[in-house]
Amino acid sequence: MGARLGDWFDERLGWRKAWEAIFLRKVPKVNWLYTLGSATLFVAVNQIITGILLTIYYVPTPDHAYDSVQFITNQVAAGWLIRGLHHWGASAMVVLTVLHLLRVVFTGGYKFPREVTWITGVLLLLLVLGFGFTGYLLPWDQKAFWATTVGTRIAGVAPAVGPYFLRALRGGEELSAVTLARFYGAHVWMLPAALLALVGVHLYLVVRLGISAAPSRED
Amino acid sequence: MADATSTPDSDSSQVQRRRFLGLAVLAAGGLIAAIYAIPGLAFLLGPALEKAQVENWIPLGPASKVEPGVPTLFRANVRRQTGWIVNEEQMTVYVLTDDGRTYVALSNICTHLGCRVRWVEGEQQFFCPCHNGVFDKDGLVLAGPPPRPLDHYPVKVEDGLLYVQGA
Repeated sequence: MGARLGDWFDERLGWRKAWEAIFLRKVPKVNWLYTLGSATLFVAVNQIITGILLTIYYVPTPDHAYDSVQFITNQVAAGWLIRGLHHWGASAMVVLTVLHLLRVVFTGGYKFPREVTWITGVLLLLLVLGFGFTGYLLPWDQKAFWATTVGTRIAGVAPAVGPYFLRALRGGEELSAVTLARFYGAHVWMLPAALLALVGVHLYLVVRLGISAAPSRED
Repeated sequence: MADATSTPDSDSSQVQRRRFLGLAVLAAGGLIAAIYAIPGLAFLLGPALEKAQVENWIPLGPASKVEPGVPTLFRANVRRQTGWIVNEEQMTVYVLTDDGRTYVALSNICTHLGCRVRWVEGEQQFFCPCHNGVFDKDGLVLAGPPPRPLDHYPVKVEDGLLYVQGA
């Protein structure tokens, strides 16, 4: 029954070929460090699931942001768990992405023909940092407020364009409701859209080119 | 292992191992999916499944204010929490007594569409201005569109003070 259904769809979608290309591809003999990319992807999926759930209760305005986060943490069933997974997952994302990058650097995985995989990977690291920066403001507590005050001020000291960066980030001179709303919009719409697009390219290239073998002593 | 007879054996054990690993991956994936799905569903549906909060007894005022046979309007402030927002709401209740010992507390919210009814002393009736709903002194419907009598609140008297249990 399952096989016949699979055949029915395969005739129309050709999914078996895609399945084989993605999951049954040959991989060279490598070590556990080569799973860091998959680990990053797993945590990214965790961030997507828990992030979507958090939007059900979170409200990005100064008069509700803090209270709605407290409501999630203390009142909603499993709210502490969902928020906790998102919170710790955020740190894990940065750590895993950097470790993955280091693995690629030290094993020479960025070399021909995988330059584009490498470049999209570096852009993905920047996106992850952007997620961390915008997400940090959303609980709207003292730590969030002052961290973002400082963080946006740092952007403001860039020569010539600094003051414009600062205004663009804050949506004005001051850290305000406008800042909170735009950080939220960036965190749940702009950055995820960019992330999904780049992850798509990154994974397509991993499947198309295969991963590099661990360098041997002779290399 | 060039022995021809061993080839089918090792082949089938190869297939078995592949099948076992496939099932193991499926089981691990299913477990992870359940670990997300169960708290996720609880998170989504939690507030929907929560029982309405049982209010404490709300003090209205001195029972002596109620004259026998005359529905008397009381106002009380009620703290109501919805989500993370706490509201002070004013609740209005008609209290009446016939003998000064047993009391009845009636909601002044019309059972038709939620307008406020008022006691018309001359007619001895509750009247709703929205669609001309009319109730008698005990809250029973006399005329108009209301589908059921006025709601009753549990009521008690302690040390001369009237209390109702709000919903």
